[in-house]
Amino acid sequence: MTYVLNRLLSVILTLFLITLVTFAVTNILPGDVAMMIMGTQSNPEALEGLRQSLGLNEPLIVQYGNWIGGLLTGDWGTSLIFKKPIAELLAQKAVASAIIVVMSMTIALALAVPLGVWAAVHRDKWQDTVSSSASLMGVSLPDFFWGIVMILVFARWLGWFPSSGIVEPSEDFLGALRYAFLPSLALGLGLMAHLTRMTRSTMTGILGQEFIRVARAKGLTERTVIWRYALANAIGPVITIAGLQIGYLFGSIIVMESLFGYTGMGWLTYQALLNRDLPLIQATVFVIAAVVMITNLIVDLLYVLIDPRVKLG
Amino acid sequence: MRRFKTTKGLIGIVLLTIIALVAILGPMILPPDAATKMDMLARRSPPTWNHLLGTDQLGRDMLYRVILGARTSLEIAVSAVLMSIVLGLPLGLVSGYFGGWIDNVLMRLVDTLLAFPALLLALTISAVLGPNVQNTIIAIGIAFTPYLARIIRGEALKVAQMPYVEAARASGTTDGMIMLRHVLPNILPAVIVQATISLAFAILAEAGLSFLGLGTQPPAASWGLMIQASRDQLDVAPWTALVPGAAVALTVLGLNMFGDVLRDILDPKSK
Amino acid sequence: MKDIVSVDHLRVEFATDSGPVVGVEDVSFTIAPGETVCVVGESGSGKSVTSLSLMRLVEFGGGTIAAGALRFRREDGTELDVAAASPAVMGEVRGNEIGMIFQEPMTALNPVFTIERQLTDGLMLHKGLSQAQASARALELLKSVRIPEPERRLKQYPHELSGGMRQRVVIAMAMACEPKLLIADEPTTALDVTIQAEILALINRLKRENGMAVLFITHDMAVVAQMADRVVVMYRGKIVETGTVEQIFTAPKEDYTKALLAAVPKLGEMKGKPAPERMRLIGDEATPPRPAKTRKPEVLLEVKHLTTRFPVKGGILRRTTAQVHAVEDISFTLNVGETLALVGESGCGKSSCGRSILRLVKPTSGEVWIGGRDIGALNPHDLRRARADMQMVFQDPFASLNPYRRLKDQVAEPIVNFGLASGAELKARVEQLFDRVHLPRTFMNRFPHELSGGQRQRVAIARALAVNPKLIVADEAVSALDVSVQAQVLNLMMELQEDLGLSYLFISHDMAVVERIAHQVGVMYLGRIVEIGPRAAIFDNPTHSYTRQLLSAVPIADPAKRRFAEDLAFKPIKSPIFPLGHQPAPSVYTEVAPGHFVLKD
Repeated sequence: MTYVLNRLLSVILTLFLITLVTFAVTNILPGDVAMMIMGTQSNPEALEGLRQSLGLNEPLIVQYGNWIGGLLTGDWGTSLIFKKPIAELLAQKAVASAIIVVMSMTIALALAVPLGVWAAVHRDKWQDTVSSSASLMGVSLPDFFWGIVMILVFARWLGWFPSSGIVEPSEDFLGALRYAFLPSLALGLGLMAHLTRMTRSTMTGILGQEFIRVARAKGLTERTVIWRYALANAIGPVITIAGLQIGYLFGSIIVMESLFGYTGMGWLTYQALLNRDLPLIQATVFVIAAVVMITNLIVDLLYVLIDPRVKLG
Repeated sequence: MRRFKTTKGLIGIVLLTIIALVAILGPMILPPDAATKMDMLARRSPPTWNHLLGTDQLGRDMLYRVILGARTSLEIAVSAVLMSIVLGLPLGLVSGYFGGWIDNVLMRLVDTLLAFPALLLALTISAVLGPNVQNTIIAIGIAFTPYLARIIRGEALKVAQMPYVEAARASGTTDGMIMLRHVLPNILPAVIVQATISLAFAILAEAGLSFLGLGTQPPAASWGLMIQASRDQLDVAPWTALVPGAAVALTVLGLNMFGDVLRDILDPKSK
Repeated sequence: MKDIVSVDHLRVEFATDSGPVVGVEDVSFTIAPGETVCVVGESGSGKSVTSLSLMRLVEFGGGTIAAGALRFRREDGTELDVAAASPAVMGEVRGNEIGMIFQEPMTALNPVFTIERQLTDGLMLHKGLSQAQASARALELLKSVRIPEPERRLKQYPHELSGGMRQRVVIAMAMACEPKLLIADEPTTALDVTIQAEILALINRLKRENGMAVLFITHDMAVVAQMADRVVVMYRGKIVETGTVEQIFTAPKEDYTKALLAAVPKLGEMKGKPAPERMRLIGDEATPPRPAKTRKPEVLLEVKHLTTRFPVKGGILRRTTAQVHAVEDISFTLNVGETLALVGESGCGKSSCGRSILRLVKPTSGEVWIGGRDIGALNPHDLRRARADMQMVFQDPFASLNPYRRLKDQVAEPIVNFGLASGAELKARVEQLFDRVHLPRTFMNRFPHELSGGQRQRVAIARALAVNPKLIVADEAVSALDVSVQAQVLNLMMELQEDLGLSYLFISHDMAVVERIAHQVGVMYLGRIVEIGPRAAIFDNPTHSYTRQLLSAVPIADPAKRRFAEDLAFKPIKSPIFPLGHQPAPSVYTEVAPGHFVLKD
């Protein structure tokens, strides 16, 4: 119980710090915020009007306080470009991105774990070389490159999937998945390459440990040794590594959603940044960081279930 | 596999040397307007003898552009990684060596930064500062600092527990000298490996930022910018995307290969 | 063949980057049913490789059986050449007809499986038992290895068991299918002395009860004397000598065997000798033993009621919830030119005591006086200066030197720190130090990885001597060294003590070594000194129950003095963790003889 409480307190503290960092990055960096939004050539009166409406003339502490207060009470501000309440925008777009995140992670793990184990078992043989080369290539290509390839191959050439657009999952779930598939696949392939390498090195490390030798000395079949004894120890670290990749994934969806015209959280963030929509920037950056942190917390707690050495309290 | 490893290392080094040479010498050898000269008669032309890698929608030669883009992209990546080391090394070193409350506080901050996806952080910083080459370097440099700091802190922590550090303390060596003489040389291999990997990510990051219009801006040429410009030509002129994309891929591949082999040499436990 | 194992001209090679390396060459020996054969040798002798080959496990470590035969007589009487056997047949033999236990109990069990699962899967595979039958047998096995609370243990995970208990589980796993041969590869090397005695007694009993043959691999000649019927001595991959245990110990034929035996400190051979004496190694016969210099006793180190406690943090805000009472009310004195040995098992606090005296950790209370100065009262600047008087030599020769600095720089470091010399004078001083520890001057420019463990330890000693300290704390300084190297380093230390008037605080778990080198001995348990006095008094007349327990558990390197036939059960070592605010009683001693103090329980 104390462990859970510990983590919760930790989470709250970190959330608080996240708001600080978000605010700092968007407001404290040099440059006049109003000019940043409206451009340097704007009419000084219009600039002043904007400053008033955004409360930019108040001391920073007050601005920060206002923002935090708003966050806690549900008033997340209004988007300058979309002219809609931010909370509403976020809610709409969040699900769409969630679909991509879940899909790409699933694709990645489903392929990476068997591949990585296979490579580790056949360490230093041709299977390992093939797997390692392929994952090396996969890791070296930029995500959006995969995206472009997907578009060219699956959308333009084969015509199996749409190259852009989105459908509300509440309206048409299957359709939504169809639209989400290519971006997820593009993301998933890059992720898979990385996870394969990590799985391989984790498995290799485990296979070198003493209890594996003892298991063999008991006369257990090699199959049992690898797929029961070794893998059971690898699941934990692999899940942790996959969890850490969530952060990276959230960065990549910004690019991927824009490439595919898929209007989810990533696309929203990008629009905000491009158009210097300050309230929206603050909100999206905060949400993404908070989600990443909470995901890591969940992964940590999951670890307690997987590894008997880690106890609650 | 051992042969594979040495082959891998060789290919990596060869690739990197070629790219580095191209990036450094290219702008010196080529005529100053090579990347911007527009050959209106040969717009969107696939590879021909005149234009070995084809031309883009404004008739600019892809080969020259990719060569010049190399310098910008590499400059940005190297500067950004150096910046992250300058910021992250002292942070990680002090945190890992002293431990205790210093470690707690510093790592709490670093962990907070780590909750922000690196690309997002870089994009935000770039958007706020105003995108140009210099700010791209700052953005990527700051975004990468927490990763480096965490890794260095881990290594420094390991070294700080070693008996030879305790022996140095028993010999009367001051903390500062211990960090310099004993800890730093022992974490350097990990730093080098991490720097190589960071370089790869930095190139990808620059490509991503420029692709989204929040990195380098025209008239500067970088690979990411080239890919961005190619977005509308994908159907008619796919090589406009493939050429810079391949350049990025080859550089990152070379760095990853080299980094892998470096890691195997310096840390045999990871094999 | 009537033997259960017959190894015939075995040759094992390992593939390395620089070509094939020979692991063992031309190894031949036999094991008769029901007999214990000890394969003994130092590191690199190939003893482990031999045993791994018998199980065909050596391939998993990159080795290949290049030549020779490994014949094993199976249950059904047929003869199997292990070297040529198929994986399927080996799968039948391993864990079933041959059981094997290894050195590291802490890592030998799968951390995410219960004990029950790990005991039953072999049984279910080899004997076709159902889960219920296997679980019942598992419980029986745990009882036969005398694990306390066996029902509870079945459901537990390995990390919930201590090292000694884990090793019992490993033995249970190996015995599960009632093998006719048990291979034990350094099974007690990583265990405390009392636990080692229990495990050795256990193996002996199981061997008797099951009529089992045992192939026992070790580097410890005392263990060999305790366990072996026959002995195989190995060196650098070849067999040097074989014979019965009596033959080997009383009439060794080969020089290497003689040298090995000469280097082993035997518990009891210092009886009647007034002072520490260097070991008579082969090649030393020419130099007569030097009579110890008689000194006027002069106090160098005075420790008064030293207490060190480490906080255990937990809870929501990481508050201190309990304390580890590592060192509790320790007092003793050490004279100039003498050695006080602190002995005890793991967790007794001897290492923390040494570190507290040197102020590498901050004691909670108590005083430490060196050369008439109260170390605890010094400000940080003076403390740093005072370090010149007290130096330390650590246990791990590989980790106590910075891999990236040249040896001459590391030996010079203390001198440089205190600004005592520079330039040519510094170089001369370093050269002198290398000479002192009998290392060639060419080593000065080398890096640590170019030297062997014993050589590195000499460098560590040179570094400790650099600023002419009065006190050197040797924290298990010879424990990680091979027997022959250990003897040389011990002799070096005694030589330095005579020549330089050094005092040693010699921390060790090895009673036989301590008997050799110590003037005074202090026995530690749970952070306290339970008995302290002159070496002869402690060894000849151990009074405290723990001291007696400890001494009775030490194997003696003489087959005529065997002790572990019966099952032993020593008191388990308690934990030194107490809740915050617990005030333990002060240590009160009775003087049973002049200078010989025993803790009142």
